[in-house]
Amino acid sequence: MAANRQSKLLARQLFKLSLIDGRVSAEHVAGVLAWLEKNPPRHPLAVLKQYHRFVVTELAKSQALVEHAGAINDGILRLIEDALARRYRRPITAVARPNPDLLAGLRVRVGDDVFESSVAGQLAALSAAV
Amino acid sequence: MSTVIEQIEQQIARLSTKAVKKNTGTIRAVADGVAKVDGLSSVMYNEMVQFPGNAIGIALNLEEDEVGCVVLGDVSRLKEGDEVFTTGKLLSVPVGKALLGRVVDALGRPVDGKGPIDAKEAYPVERIAPGIIVRKSVSQPVLTGIMAIDSMIPIGRGQRELIIGDRGTGKTTIVIDTIINQARINKVGFASKDPNFRPLYSIYVAVGQKNSTIARTIAALEAAGALEYTIIVCAPAADNPANQYLAPFSGAAMGEWFMENSMDALIVYDDLSKHAVAYRQISLILKRPSGREAYPGDVFYLHSRLLERSARLAAKGSLTGLPIIETQAGDVSAYIPTNVISITDGQIYLETDLFNQGIRPAVSVGLSVSRVGSAAQLKMTKQVAGKLKGELAQFRELAAFAQFGSDLDARTKAQLDRGARIVELFKQPAFNPVSIELQAAVLWAMQNNYFDPIDVKKIVDAANHLKEFLTTRKSALLDALRQKATIDDNLNAELKKALEEWKAAFTA
Repeated sequence: MAANRQSKLLARQLFKLSLIDGRVSAEHVAGVLAWLEKNPPRHPLAVLKQYHRFVVTELAKSQALVEHAGAINDGILRLIEDALARRYRRPITAVARPNPDLLAGLRVRVGDDVFESSVAGQLAALSAAV
Repeated sequence: MSTVIEQIEQQIARLSTKAVKKNTGTIRAVADGVAKVDGLSSVMYNEMVQFPGNAIGIALNLEEDEVGCVVLGDVSRLKEGDEVFTTGKLLSVPVGKALLGRVVDALGRPVDGKGPIDAKEAYPVERIAPGIIVRKSVSQPVLTGIMAIDSMIPIGRGQRELIIGDRGTGKTTIVIDTIINQARINKVGFASKDPNFRPLYSIYVAVGQKNSTIARTIAALEAAGALEYTIIVCAPAADNPANQYLAPFSGAAMGEWFMENSMDALIVYDDLSKHAVAYRQISLILKRPSGREAYPGDVFYLHSRLLERSARLAAKGSLTGLPIIETQAGDVSAYIPTNVISITDGQIYLETDLFNQGIRPAVSVGLSVSRVGSAAQLKMTKQVAGKLKGELAQFRELAAFAQFGSDLDARTKAQLDRGARIVELFKQPAFNPVSIELQAAVLWAMQNNYFDPIDVKKIVDAANHLKEFLTTRKSALLDALRQKATIDDNLNAELKKALEEWKAAFTA
């Protein structure tokens, strides 16, 4: 239990060192990994897993995963990026991923927020309401 | 024609694609009905979260990078990586009169097989207790139908009276008697069509009990015709601890509906010891720091915020709370008993020794107290039972001393005789509450020495005979007592006449 807490604490400190202006820096991450290799902590695997979690969560906040059922062009992706950047007040990069399960429409995920505008989502809401 | 077009347009507008925002997370671990969730960055404390498979949960632990949720429902289908999302709602349960006569679970879903409940409203399970300004002092009685309680430890509407004792001392019997008595009073009140009559509805919350025990309680209420005025909320021992933790709060929400709608309700929490144990279990799984007896630091707040919801509101109704606490080997100074004793407005202490001696209900007069109930006691009960508690306490003290010596003066002997008769008089079988007018008549007989010539061993028979005599032959007198609720000179004379008649009939 105490080991878990200590690993989490160290991972958090290392994660903070990996940020520049609130964004994850590739250089700093490489530096942290190098330091960890030279100075392995007591539970290296636990620290690395925790560190990985923090970095993935942070990167997801700056990335909009746009799932779509129909065709989507770059113009729409740019529009989505702009709208989300205004909403979250930080630069957001949109990445498109086709998902035929949506039937029609879009689902955009930024961090742990999901914006659903798909037929599959509406059908799910309808079935939950019935 | 234009309205038809408007309808179609509205339908189109409803189907138009508008993005819905959801805050999501993923399950990291599930154990013992508690899920640790990654994400859910916008979740609020006590917010309802949706798990896959229609299971819902409540966010109880908001930590820096994870959320601890108690899962209400089947956890066996949940697995690591499943998506969870916030609902923006607090957990609510259905409320209203449609629930009367029904048995529901901690979420207000029927479990009695009598079909769906047609409840029009829902109240949040967690609500802030009424403040000081809206409260009114206790002044109306809750009649339990148990002579020892109604005469010596009276309970008022809006009061919180703890029932405490070891296992098997008759705690549940007292509350069932009380619920049955309310049903009888309600039936008489509704039949009288008195516009000022205020019925008292009951809510019985069973926490951590065996299913067979709950079934027995339901059967007892049904047999007495009390179920139609009662809501039963059950979270049996086989339920997960989250449901056991929530059940009293759900019951309180149902009771609050009556209170808010200018009605009176009585809520029984059977029992809060098991509730505290369920909360301890959840807290330990959530890795909250543990304190005395491994209970979390907020176990006092758990019960105080629950019991503070029982109140009498000005210009509205009331919610009377009867929490039950089970002690271990009569230890009232344990953690949970002392907490609940300090929160409530008095306690009825049941003693194992008295129970084993055949004194049932085994109410310990010395340790039982009602701090506000005397303001709600009916005048006739005060007239006949005003000095009873003192006399009985004196009797117990004298009886203890009398064990050491045989030479007693006449006065002491008389006091002992009288005390023994009062003890016998208060013996009452289970599920057989006595109406308040009958109680007053019997106690009047005791006060006026009608039981003095009768042998102590025959007091119970004599009291039963008197009750039967009054019910069958002097119903007009009992009606007058009930309506006036005070013993004036006329009633005094009538009681005297009736008692002389009974004396002649009983001794013959």
